[in-house]
Amino acid sequence: MKALVVDDAKVVRVTLGRIMKQIGYEVLEAADGAQALEQMEANPDTAVVMLDWNMPVMNGYDFLVELRGRPEHGSDPKVIMVTTETGMGQMLKALAAGADEYIMKPFDKDMVVSKMEILGLEVAEG
Amino acid sequence: MSMTDREFKYLSAFLLKASGIVVNEDKMYLLRSRMQPLLRKYKIASMDELAQQVRSNERGPLAHAVVDAMTTNETLFFRDQYPYDALKTLIFPEIVHSKGVGKRINIWSAASSRGQEGISIALTAMESVPQADRRVRILGTDLSDEALAYANEGLYTQMEVQRGMPVKLLVRFFNQEGTNWRVCPELKAMLTFKKANLVSDQLSGVVRPHGPFDIVFLRNVLIYFTVDERKRVIDRIAANMVKGGYLITGATEVAQGVRSKWEMVTFKNKRLWKLK
Repeated sequence: MKALVVDDAKVVRVTLGRIMKQIGYEVLEAADGAQALEQMEANPDTAVVMLDWNMPVMNGYDFLVELRGRPEHGSDPKVIMVTTETGMGQMLKALAAGADEYIMKPFDKDMVVSKMEILGLEVAEG
Repeated sequence: MSMTDREFKYLSAFLLKASGIVVNEDKMYLLRSRMQPLLRKYKIASMDELAQQVRSNERGPLAHAVVDAMTTNETLFFRDQYPYDALKTLIFPEIVHSKGVGKRINIWSAASSRGQEGISIALTAMESVPQADRRVRILGTDLSDEALAYANEGLYTQMEVQRGMPVKLLVRFFNQEGTNWRVCPELKAMLTFKKANLVSDQLSGVVRPHGPFDIVFLRNVLIYFTVDERKRVIDRIAANMVKGGYLITGATEVAQGVRSKWEMVTFKNKRLWKLK
């Protein structure tokens, strides 16, 4: 199972990546939306994308719109926003664009596991 | 931190008397860790001193705070998930079918803590019972003043609403206040929170005006009671339920001693109890 962690902050990619590895995922990384699209093209079997909102080059929201507009890639991963954008308006906007879940930073492992379980995604003990 | 045997026995007896909770020596660590914030708050130097102060005024604010600290458990929205799946796919359809549309459905969250269980029940009802906001009423009871005040306020932190709660329910049924989230009035109107002690003979007086109950949640509470207390608690609850009503305990808890009154119903390999 592959998880793509998209965040421009390396510390977040490392922290979140470690949690995803602990719960049984092979972790791919991207530092912006454009890199994330490349990762998705190379790894269409990705099960879940952990997606930051504010990033350079292409932000998370634009990536999400692009991803959901490309069903031809045969990839339909669950998308969990992981962001400091915590306003109700932003949350509704992301959900309307096809986000499945939403984590307001700061996060911890329990929260990530909880959201994965809500979406019916596999969570390995660890 | 040391505690003399005498003071431990006193606190243990006090908690049993005040709340029905059994604190054996194997739970001494739990007692100590739960009391740490109180020692700081009340500037008390030791567990022995805490015991002495409680003894000097068993109805005072410190004694209340000790009971609160031992009985308040962190609860999650949709804890364990299967009780809510059972409500949605088994229990609510059965009750709606047998009662017909429009009849009141009474539910009791018998150790409601900070209200997450009652809210999770209300959210499930909103998704699976026609006109749930008008016909479903949920009573939450707890022994802890702090937990009841929290539940009545209905304001949860960003951290709390992200444990167990699907975001789609959060944005639909909560209003944002800064970094906190408040239960919307429509949902709040389905919920009432009252102070009640499950081991007290006065229990029925508190809950009866809100019953009889079609469903009772009594989760992860029985473990704290002696075997005799468990029987008495279950009997008191049964006396306030309708025939055919469902009792939902913790996954490993059994409606002990009075099994003849209950039919065991298996749902997703978990046991639910139906009053005969």
